[in-house]
Amino acid sequence: MSVRDLLSPFTAWKNLFREPVSIKDPFNRPASERYRGFHKNDSEKCIGCGTCEAICQNGAIDMLPADGVATQPGDSGLRPRIDYGRCCWCALCVDVCMTGSLTMSNEYKWVEADPDKFRFMPGVDKKHWDDYEDGYRRPDGHRLNAPERIDMPELAPAQRIDSFVEMVTGYTVEQAQLEADRCVTCGICVATCPTHMAIPDYIRAIRDGDYERGLKLLYDSNPFSQICGKVCTRRCETTCAASHEGDPIAIRWLKRHITEQVPHERYREIIGAPGPATGRKIAIVGAGPAGMTAAFDLARAGHQVTVYESESHAGGMTRYGIPEYRLPSDTIQREIDLIVSMGVEMHYNTRVGTDISMQQLQQDNDAVILAIGLWMGRSTRIPGSDHANVFKAVDLLRRIRDGEAIEAPKSLVVIGGGNVAMDIARSMARLQKQQHGEIAVTLTALEDKAHFLADPVEIKESIEEQIHILDSRGPQECVIGDQGGLVGLRTWKVLSIFDEQHRFAPSYDENDEQLHKGEWVIEAIGQMSDVSLLGEELTEQLEWNRGRLQVDDDGRTSESWLWAAGDCVKGPDVVTAVATGHKVAASIEAVFAQQEAQT
Amino acid sequence: METLYARLKEPFGLTDWVLQKPDLCFVTVAREQLRPLLLHLRDLEGFTHLVLLTAVDWIEEDRFQLTYLLHDRAKARDIGVRLMLPREDASMDSIHELWPTAATYQRELREMFGIDFPGSPRVNEDFILEGWADLPPYRRDFDTLQYAHEAYAERAGRETRDPARHMKEQLYPDGGQDD
Repeated sequence: MSVRDLLSPFTAWKNLFREPVSIKDPFNRPASERYRGFHKNDSEKCIGCGTCEAICQNGAIDMLPADGVATQPGDSGLRPRIDYGRCCWCALCVDVCMTGSLTMSNEYKWVEADPDKFRFMPGVDKKHWDDYEDGYRRPDGHRLNAPERIDMPELAPAQRIDSFVEMVTGYTVEQAQLEADRCVTCGICVATCPTHMAIPDYIRAIRDGDYERGLKLLYDSNPFSQICGKVCTRRCETTCAASHEGDPIAIRWLKRHITEQVPHERYREIIGAPGPATGRKIAIVGAGPAGMTAAFDLARAGHQVTVYESESHAGGMTRYGIPEYRLPSDTIQREIDLIVSMGVEMHYNTRVGTDISMQQLQQDNDAVILAIGLWMGRSTRIPGSDHANVFKAVDLLRRIRDGEAIEAPKSLVVIGGGNVAMDIARSMARLQKQQHGEIAVTLTALEDKAHFLADPVEIKESIEEQIHILDSRGPQECVIGDQGGLVGLRTWKVLSIFDEQHRFAPSYDENDEQLHKGEWVIEAIGQMSDVSLLGEELTEQLEWNRGRLQVDDDGRTSESWLWAAGDCVKGPDVVTAVATGHKVAASIEAVFAQQEAQT
Repeated sequence: METLYARLKEPFGLTDWVLQKPDLCFVTVAREQLRPLLLHLRDLEGFTHLVLLTAVDWIEEDRFQLTYLLHDRAKARDIGVRLMLPREDASMDSIHELWPTAATYQRELREMFGIDFPGSPRVNEDFILEGWADLPPYRRDFDTLQYAHEAYAERAGRETRDPARHMKEQLYPDGGQDD
């Protein structure tokens, strides 16, 4: 034993008089500002997308219904429950959270006798650290998934303004992969899509490069997938989880991408042939999205389907209402050909009520579907609106798509702020550019800019195309000049559109009056159905609801043999029409099955 | 901290600097400059304590990041020295001669990331993962979730719901259309 070993115990004595290094009260020492302590979740902000559960590498998170949280579009109603027996506080769940609702406090002490207490739902099971200021949250700019959408390549305004060539050119495979990679495949969007397309699954198919699987998924729920890939109103994107802290996933463009990647001659084989013939007969009035969707479903079920269409081509409003620069005719034709190839018999240029009666259809078939759309433009009925140079947008759009040569006036005014108003304004601007080299289109809407009914992209593109858009203007008179020609539209400023009972009752500031110069005025304020084809007797028999045909949840009218679908019952909207088409087809199938069971 | 960085920048060719907090900064250094920089920090700047040596797997960039965290007791401040290594057959010079404790960290990194430190004492011996035959588990290509499911029993009472399926049950159970 050395001398040092003997003395060292005594040298330790000197520490008796030093300030201790240890902390006097270790139980009340706050953790550092960014400490990753116990979880907090802002339950109001959380949408229950389950991305936290998906990323957790310990399988510590479950998604479960929570008291006081309702399932609604854009919110699954589920909330994360974390098992602290598994959590390692890595904070990946916080880093990936799509809304930023999930954070951590810097609390790190929690004592319980019951181990099951450590499985809890942050933000729902109230904890004292819920209102802690400090703790880990995702630092600004730190994102695990890209917040910005991959831009869709399109023709520049100068390139597109003098033609009806399709302006959007479609993603490349690389662009689509990058966009698909932004999707967290939570599936919150599926409930919002009227026809509930398998959105996360087909986006996953893009990621896997398996386009045939993607196409199969599309046509399982939507026989208008090529068309919807170009013009869908994409309500799904409004509830996309990515929209909370970035751009929503370009779901519509990804759908379009799948349809462009699969050779058209492969479509039918992938979708599959129709089933064996049943001998049942169904007549469908109207070859738009609703009628043709029902035709697709029923023909594939083996029934004999005949479609009666008053126009020379199928597609309904997608062909005669949407301009060519948004939806080229060959896209529509491919879609229709595919549906017809399932064994659908088409009768074009055949107007029911004139060329064949509803009674005849009833006699010859087991079921009849009305899918007659909304083809009559509504009028403002303001003074002068019966002038020959006051047009309805739907009529003009149909004439343009039908290839009629229309002589565009040098200046015109459009009344309306919806997508149809944008469509006719942009179509007329193209004709003006072609015929006169200059554009003079004024668009007046009742709504203010914040409440425009048109798709924001449509508004942006209209402005790019030199459409002069005025908001909060109420039409008062189509002004007729001394020579009897139209001079323009007189408007007042809109103060409010609805009264206290939410009824349509616009009020105006009459002192704020403007005259918008125009040789034509085009009304684009809504459409209605032309139900004259039903005939007096049937119209009497049927039940109506405020001018619309009354149908039950399945689209069946008060007459047991007659169903109705599409814009004429719910719309106008392509994908909603597809959804109602499926619905009436399923309802008819169910009725047939019931009849089989009884015999 | 700023003056320290200004002093180190030129001689050690530092490219990147992050002031995380007033008493904590990070610098990034080239491989051949690591040892001189660590010696300088230890012997001339007062960073005598090696707090830790750890790694990050930047699999998308195909490299590992090593972080040497040093502490200056007198001034109560820390500096993290970062260094990027190619991910393939990752190997780094040992610093166990500068701090003997580094050998333990290096043995851990060898086991958890598969990064070799030739010459480091006992570097190839099992550290905590006795009999581990799989990919080093801190590598990002190791499927941690699958391992967690296989290795650990579920606690009774665990259940979960898929958001899309749950929404269907709640909002459109017949598969039909909603408003």
